[in-house]
Amino acid sequence: MTPAAFAFSRTARWEELPALLAEPGAIPVAGAQSLMPMMALRVAEPARLVALDALPGYRDVRQSPGLLHLGAGVTHATAEDGVGPEPLRGWLARVAGGIAYRPVRNRGTIGGSLALHDPAADWPVALLALRAVAVLRHGTAERRLPLQEFLVGPFTTALAPGEVLAAIEVPRPPEDARFGWCKLAPSAGAFAEASAAMLQIPGAPPRVAVSSPEGARLMPDAPLPDDPHLARLREVALRRATA
Amino acid sequence: MEAKGWIGASLPRREDRRHLLGQGVFAADLSAPGMLELAFLRSPVAHGRIKALRRPGSAPVFAAGEIGPITLLPAGPDMPSFRQAPYPPLAEDVVRFVGQPIAACLAANRFAAEDLVAQCEAEIETLPALPDVAAALAPSAVALHPGWADNRYASGHVKAGDVAALDAPLKIRRRLSLGRQSAAPMEPRAMLAVPDRRTGELVLHISSQGPHTLRHALARMLGIPEARLRVVAPDVGGGFGAKNRLMPEEVVACALALRLDRPIRWVEDRREHLMAGAQAREHLYDLTLHATRDGIALGLEGDLWVDAGAYALWPTGAFAEAGMAARNLGGPYRIAHLDLHHHTVATTKPPMGPYRGVGRTGACFAIERLLDALADETGLSRVEIRRRNLITQQELPRVTASGLALDTGDYRAALDAVEAMLDREAIAARRAAGERIGVGIALYTEQSGHGTAEWAGRRNRVVPGHEAATLRMHPDGSLTLLTAIQSHGQGLETSLAQIVAEELGVHPDVVEVRHGDTGLSPFGFGTFASRSLVFAGGAAERAAQALAGKLRRIAAQLLQTEASEVVLRDGAACAGPASVPLADIAHAALLRQERLPAGEPPGLEAHVTYSPPEEGGVFSYAAHAAVVRVDAETGAVQLLDYCVAEDCGTMINPMIVDGQVKGGVVQGIGTALTEELRFDAEAQPLSTTFADYHLPEAAFLPEIRVTHLVTPAHSTVHGAKGVGEGGAIAPPAAIAAAVEEALADFGARIDATPVSPRRVLAAISR
Amino acid sequence: MMRLTINGTGHQVPAEPRESLAHVLRDRLGLTATRLGCAQGSCGACNVLVDGSPVRACLLPASLAEGEDITTLEGLRDDAAMAALREAFQAEHALQCGYCTAGMLLAARDLILRGRAHDAAQVRAGLAGQLCRCTGYDGIVAAVQRAARTLSR
Repeated sequence: MTPAAFAFSRTARWEELPALLAEPGAIPVAGAQSLMPMMALRVAEPARLVALDALPGYRDVRQSPGLLHLGAGVTHATAEDGVGPEPLRGWLARVAGGIAYRPVRNRGTIGGSLALHDPAADWPVALLALRAVAVLRHGTAERRLPLQEFLVGPFTTALAPGEVLAAIEVPRPPEDARFGWCKLAPSAGAFAEASAAMLQIPGAPPRVAVSSPEGARLMPDAPLPDDPHLARLREVALRRATA
Repeated sequence: MEAKGWIGASLPRREDRRHLLGQGVFAADLSAPGMLELAFLRSPVAHGRIKALRRPGSAPVFAAGEIGPITLLPAGPDMPSFRQAPYPPLAEDVVRFVGQPIAACLAANRFAAEDLVAQCEAEIETLPALPDVAAALAPSAVALHPGWADNRYASGHVKAGDVAALDAPLKIRRRLSLGRQSAAPMEPRAMLAVPDRRTGELVLHISSQGPHTLRHALARMLGIPEARLRVVAPDVGGGFGAKNRLMPEEVVACALALRLDRPIRWVEDRREHLMAGAQAREHLYDLTLHATRDGIALGLEGDLWVDAGAYALWPTGAFAEAGMAARNLGGPYRIAHLDLHHHTVATTKPPMGPYRGVGRTGACFAIERLLDALADETGLSRVEIRRRNLITQQELPRVTASGLALDTGDYRAALDAVEAMLDREAIAARRAAGERIGVGIALYTEQSGHGTAEWAGRRNRVVPGHEAATLRMHPDGSLTLLTAIQSHGQGLETSLAQIVAEELGVHPDVVEVRHGDTGLSPFGFGTFASRSLVFAGGAAERAAQALAGKLRRIAAQLLQTEASEVVLRDGAACAGPASVPLADIAHAALLRQERLPAGEPPGLEAHVTYSPPEEGGVFSYAAHAAVVRVDAETGAVQLLDYCVAEDCGTMINPMIVDGQVKGGVVQGIGTALTEELRFDAEAQPLSTTFADYHLPEAAFLPEIRVTHLVTPAHSTVHGAKGVGEGGAIAPPAAIAAAVEEALADFGARIDATPVSPRRVLAAISR
Repeated sequence: MMRLTINGTGHQVPAEPRESLAHVLRDRLGLTATRLGCAQGSCGACNVLVDGSPVRACLLPASLAEGEDITTLEGLRDDAAMAALREAFQAEHALQCGYCTAGMLLAARDLILRGRAHDAAQVRAGLAGQLCRCTGYDGIVAAVQRAARTLSR
């Protein structure tokens, strides 16, 4: 269980990224907490890792009146310990606290989780329900995509070649909004067998996201897992998140 | 009698300090100049014929026949009816499980060695996989090994009384099964083989439970004298059985070290451990319990099958697994009639090895589930059904129907004690509040410290019926105990020192204990089968007694008294008000022999070989109770309480006993709820990392509550019995019973482990 | 050449980018208290501190750790929290084979310093992802609380 050889680069300049990532087999790396296990099994064999952690603003947390801005490099542990205004702060902490284990959360990033889009991951589902927007950056050019457009399919996103996920913007919900979250996993910190998230803003229909074979999806359009056991768990998660 | 100060003392362990400072030394911590690291090309298919091996031209890649002369050893019980399936260190023409080593790749480090593996490819013509017992025993199944009439290593029969003639009013039949497991010590296996050019020895540092027997097997396979092979087990990060068999990797590492005259290191990674290490459990039972309407179990008949995998591991193969299960099926109960056929079956899965609880975890699960069924059938409580069938204290000692010589104890007292630990009122209140809660109880006996008669009766190729100790007092009065067991968490460095200190009236701190090194200690068998305290403790005690005798004789001379008047205490030999420090006696015995009594030879060293008189072993036992809450929507089982009332005779160090019990219980909880090595229909492994193979975690567990009953054994060191395995025996039975009770209104039946959410939901909907 | 700061000392290590921090610590620098149990981040035997917080050394390419302040168990000999934990681990029989111990100590220290060791339930939850195969965890849970009490006095 050792990774195949790769080259390594780190840059503190956004404008250098597209060229570094243009090399065949080059991929960006944030906390490496999902990538390293895959590399150790040699199911991922990147030719070059391009570290994003030195980029300006990459770990920033900023608040504007209607928005929480999270740099893609904000770690799960940072979210667990509290970012942004209530009630969002508590909700994000709750999701973050269930991801893997504290030492993994200390390195793993929200952006990395979204950009990998493992269909069993937590952030894609939770942030999709929370109406988050992905901030994509190519060199100095930025564009914004709602998560439902960013999360294309399992392990697939709308990132274009040379483009990286720079930040996530989460709209600040009203004080009386409710958030429901249910993750069913075989053990504490394991990847979800089913997860569901719900944002209930008074006066609006609830916004419900679930994990699915196609990745995080909004209800009612999420396909059911083929495995009847997982399909059943999915129904339970939905029921509990929306209760 | 002197005060027995050190026996029964919860002395803090001397092992702890080095580990707490990060200074323990495990095999993977070792390196040597010029060392090469080894990685293996392993079979990607469960069964196939190797047609060709493609490899980079000049790279150091070694296939079967290229690592030097190897003599395969027969393995399994020494009887003609056990079919031979010796495990080649590298596959010769056929591969028989996914993960079987095909070629050895060497490089300067593990990264490069794995790069080399990635450049190699075996061209394999696929043969039919035999993913389980049913497939292996199907009439159309291919024979896994040449010349075999069917895919059975062996079958056996345990018969007592006459079940057929019972004509019992109740016959309860159940098919039960136990999942396949990995022992999964936190330290995977690891080794470094170093040719010592000065001595001509090959020194193998290896994470092993039994260096001496391993040396014997390796030397024979490699064709070198045992005197030129030294096996050293440094700190070993848990074994649980997984490090007590000859495995192909150490043969290859040693062969290549000899062939290339270079140090070779191999460190197992977790995937290799889960995919190709020795595996465990996986029992199937089809049993019928014969009983009276008032709940008396009379007889048991049926079959049990063990999925032993593709090869027999030296020395015993997996035969003991099925044989012990069959012989232990009667449990601590008064079942007089047995008619049990057991089958050790070959499949295209990794070989089965021993794992904490060998055989008995399955046997306990089977008989306890049957007793629960009998309780349900007769309308008696699950406690009452056991009370009626348990062998009573008055009936002990007793030889069971299967020939186990139960020695001392009071099984009903254990049942009562565990029942008293439960808070039945609180449980009832939670149930009344709508929680789905169940309670399960299970009992077992644990054969421990068994000797020559037992092992020879099993036709073992190695009969671990003795253990030796050398106890040496140095000129300053400090002591070294050399023992051939290997302590890897059991705290034997501490408890053996307590035993020696007790005899010599010294503080344990002056007794160094050295183990796990064929170059240091006398021959012995190692640590397994709940034997070390009984065997090595017994040997240490005898050695200390021998040394004490000599110390008294010399002291008598120095104190001008009779040896019988001399008492050893507080580091001195005392006779009335007079005393002489042991250091002075040691000084005399070793450096100033003119001070010795006439005729007393110089030197202060005792060497003892000890065989426990009760060769059938001494039996620890326990009653376990589990309280669970079941989520009927998700199938999740939460363990709310776990109670143990156990008796392992005299406790040398109660703190260590508690640790052994609790650790064993939690492994048993893994068997019961979380751990399963799963395979697909082509026998491809599906559980190859800890993300797929779930060990129990702290967050998932309640405190394990333990009560001790103490019934000393008759003949062992201070009346102690073995305790290492016991905890792991009963949890699957107790927890399955608890889950079943929690789901009683569904009429659900729990007959397989692990009791995973999938199985719970399936049981509900059945 | 990789530049790493470990236990307060700068090292220049001729490591490949693919080497994990755990590998560099163990095989290039001889700091073997950091142990490998799974190489997947699941077991916690390889915990080290990076800028004071525990991380999995098996999941961190050493190249990513350049410029960070890395501490292993060897670097905490004089740490007050670690001294309390060592005493408590021995008193509560919180280790048997010792293989998980270094990672467990680093995780436990973090729990205490973050104020997450008040009761058994909190400690158990906080030790998610720290596997021990020997003890059944009771001793560990008791030891972490004991050390937390010692340090709060």
